Amino acid sequence: MGIIVMNKCKRYLRLYRVLVSQFLKTIMQSKVDFLMGLFGFFFSQIIGIAFLYLVFQQIPSLQGWTLDQLIFIYGFAQIPRGIDHLFTDNIWLVAWRLVVNGDFDRYMLRPMNIFFQVIAEKLQPDAMGELLVGVILVVRSLTRGVLIVDGPHVVLFFVSIFAGALIYTSIKLFFAGLAFWIKISGPFLQVAYQMSDFAKYPTEIYARGIRFLITWVIPFAFVAYLPASFFLKAGTSAMIIGIECGIAVLFWCIAYAVFERGTHVYESAGN
Amino acid sequence: MRKSLKIYLPFTLNELKRQMAYKGAFYLFILISMFGAFINYYLWMAIYSSSDKTTLGGMTQNEMIVYVFMVYVTSSVVSISIANFVSDDVVKGTVAMNLIRPIDYRLSLISRAAGNMIYHFLVPSVFIWIGVEIYKVKVFGLPAVSVWNILLYLSSCVMSFLIYVLFDFCFGMIAFFTTYIFGLMMIKNALLGFLTGQLIPISFFPEVLQRAFDFLPFSSMVYTPVMIYLGKYSGKMLGFMLIRQAVWVILLYVLGSLIWKKVTKRLVVLGG
Repeated sequence: MGIIVMNKCKRYLRLYRVLVSQFLKTIMQSKVDFLMGLFGFFFSQIIGIAFLYLVFQQIPSLQGWTLDQLIFIYGFAQIPRGIDHLFTDNIWLVAWRLVVNGDFDRYMLRPMNIFFQVIAEKLQPDAMGELLVGVILVVRSLTRGVLIVDGPHVVLFFVSIFAGALIYTSIKLFFAGLAFWIKISGPFLQVAYQMSDFAKYPTEIYARGIRFLITWVIPFAFVAYLPASFFLKAGTSAMIIGIECGIAVLFWCIAYAVFERGTHVYESAGN
Repeated sequence: MRKSLKIYLPFTLNELKRQMAYKGAFYLFILISMFGAFINYYLWMAIYSSSDKTTLGGMTQNEMIVYVFMVYVTSSVVSISIANFVSDDVVKGTVAMNLIRPIDYRLSLISRAAGNMIYHFLVPSVFIWIGVEIYKVKVFGLPAVSVWNILLYLSSCVMSFLIYVLFDFCFGMIAFFTTYIFGLMMIKNALLGFLTGQLIPISFFPEVLQRAFDFLPFSSMVYTPVMIYLGKYSGKMLGFMLIRQAVWVILLYVLGSLIWKKVTKRLVVLGG
């Protein structure tokens, strides 16, 4: 049994390498496009920091948070977002195009896991812009000494990033999966995805309804603000990362089940 | 005049019809575009409650809230991008047809943008505007905006629209040099969001930058009409702001013509 699973893993890893290297070749052909996409995402995130900077010329702290702390929350939010963006960008196409025009057929025909095929088909280099912003801001926070640095915190930092990325992927997969029933689910996915913008700032500033929504329904608060506060404030319980992981696993199971079920009701388009 | 209206009006109407056809998704996109306004609303509420001063950057909390939503109303009406029309035409090669036809390409683009502008004004801007006005009077107890100010605001908006579109035409010319304009558009939108005052009033910037922005067209795109609406300008200052907008319209028009002449000279279109 163990050997079969291992062989399967090996096969998928090898397939992923082949598919990705295929894709990398197309990127190398258009280096300018790559750079522009990177800068595009880089700039659209960096102006948020400029905004905070200007605001803090007027106030010493925002409801108890300093500028340095807010910049960390903002930057930390970018990393899981960027990871998910880099690896699973093709999910967007399922929501917008592949199901409605019947192109999803090609995934149904190959003897491979369907979800694997969807994400392996594309790497999104634009995501490097978000990752760059995230890493720069986290490193900056380290040098400014606003973070708690010890063994457990460092380990949980990486755990949290991984769980956060999984939450992103799950939310995307869930809404994209709806396309199997309603054909085009892009607009809904867009609404859900955009809610992540709320999580770039401390959620205490929002009205109770919005706070509930982004914490428990579309849980972006668990990707950014809540775990970030664990790394900023001594005495915050590590439970917060535990809950984040729990939510990530739960949402992944739901999203994958919906997607799986969807592939069974999928009908091709055309004659 | 009547003849050119007959030629270019169909572009406007066509765009209006096209937009009307995809209503369903559009309502969701309105929702998304409002997220930003709401985040800003809550941020500013928190910012003002963290400050011991009552005015920041020359605005009270209530004025700032009106500002946030009027910026949303104004920018969704005014910032109609035509660069993607240009990019589409270049990639598909249809720009060649537009060169043969006895019409002005830029004018046809502006007419299409005007269709979009009218549509954005109807859904949802005008309703949010009314909402803001009611909220302002009922909750904040501020006086309603005067008819005179509404007229000034609307005429300023029309000029803002022209400045934006003429600027975007110049920007769209980049499409003749690269096919992947998506990344550049993101950079443009990010920078404009900042420089036009959409994200934060220009009065929050350091003195030096404010002086520098006086020589750029961006604050005339969104900031000026909203400040006029808030009644922040009066007398000579008001006149100066409106004249400055008019000057930008003319300057960008001339600049666009020059670039267009240069670009079409070196244009190569494949196929027949």
